[in-house]
Amino acid sequence: MARAFAPKGISFVFLYTREAHPGENYPAHRSIEQKLAYAKAFKAEFKIERPILVDDLVGTAHKLYGSLPNMTYLISRGGRVLFRADWTDPPTIEYAIDYVLNSRARRRDGLRLAPFYAEFVGYRWSDQTKFQEGLARAGQQAVDDFARATERRSKQGPRPGRIELSE
Amino acid sequence: MSGQREIQEYNYSVFVGSDDFIDFRTIVPVGTSAPDFRATVLETNETVRLSEYWKNKDVLIEFGSLT
Repeated sequence: MARAFAPKGISFVFLYTREAHPGENYPAHRSIEQKLAYAKAFKAEFKIERPILVDDLVGTAHKLYGSLPNMTYLISRGGRVLFRADWTDPPTIEYAIDYVLNSRARRRDGLRLAPFYAEFVGYRWSDQTKFQEGLARAGQQAVDDFARATERRSKQGPRPGRIELSE
Repeated sequence: MSGQREIQEYNYSVFVGSDDFIDFRTIVPVGTSAPDFRATVLETNETVRLSEYWKNKDVLIEFGSLT
């Protein structure tokens, strides 16, 4: 996707944060060298081609943007937030970028367009098998911690800020 | 230099699930200026500002980790 949109003037970057699911193989960061090494492992494992920026050890950049594990922001040339999501979902990102590019094209064609505030519910693919594989990569502790957290949450009811829709 | 406590608080050792999803809705809303920050470019080990990326282009930034 990064390659497809590059000619259209979009830079893709990745901000490496804390470990979302620390385990025996990839425990919580305690030094910047460790964080850089895990970022390198991440780049190799997922064959990441876009630039990876590594945040500092206390998550200064991560906290500025909301501290969630898989956020996405689309920022305009000049630094304004055009789209953001509390999860990273490629089709949703593509939709958002296309929307922005199309709006600009319509403007260039002479259509008078005024910006406005909008929100929508995103639908992401939830691949549990792949997710569990990811936890296993981190180690058995990550698998167990997630299972415990899931069980605890199931007793607590809906979580604030999480969207639960069945339709 | 950051304190050990701050490092350990941010980099939790045990995942318990985030309650930050509701806070996300009010931090950096669309239409506002994106906060700038410095980070290390993995490939070059150089320090860069995010604003250097949005100076000439739109930027899609994704947050995440290996685990």
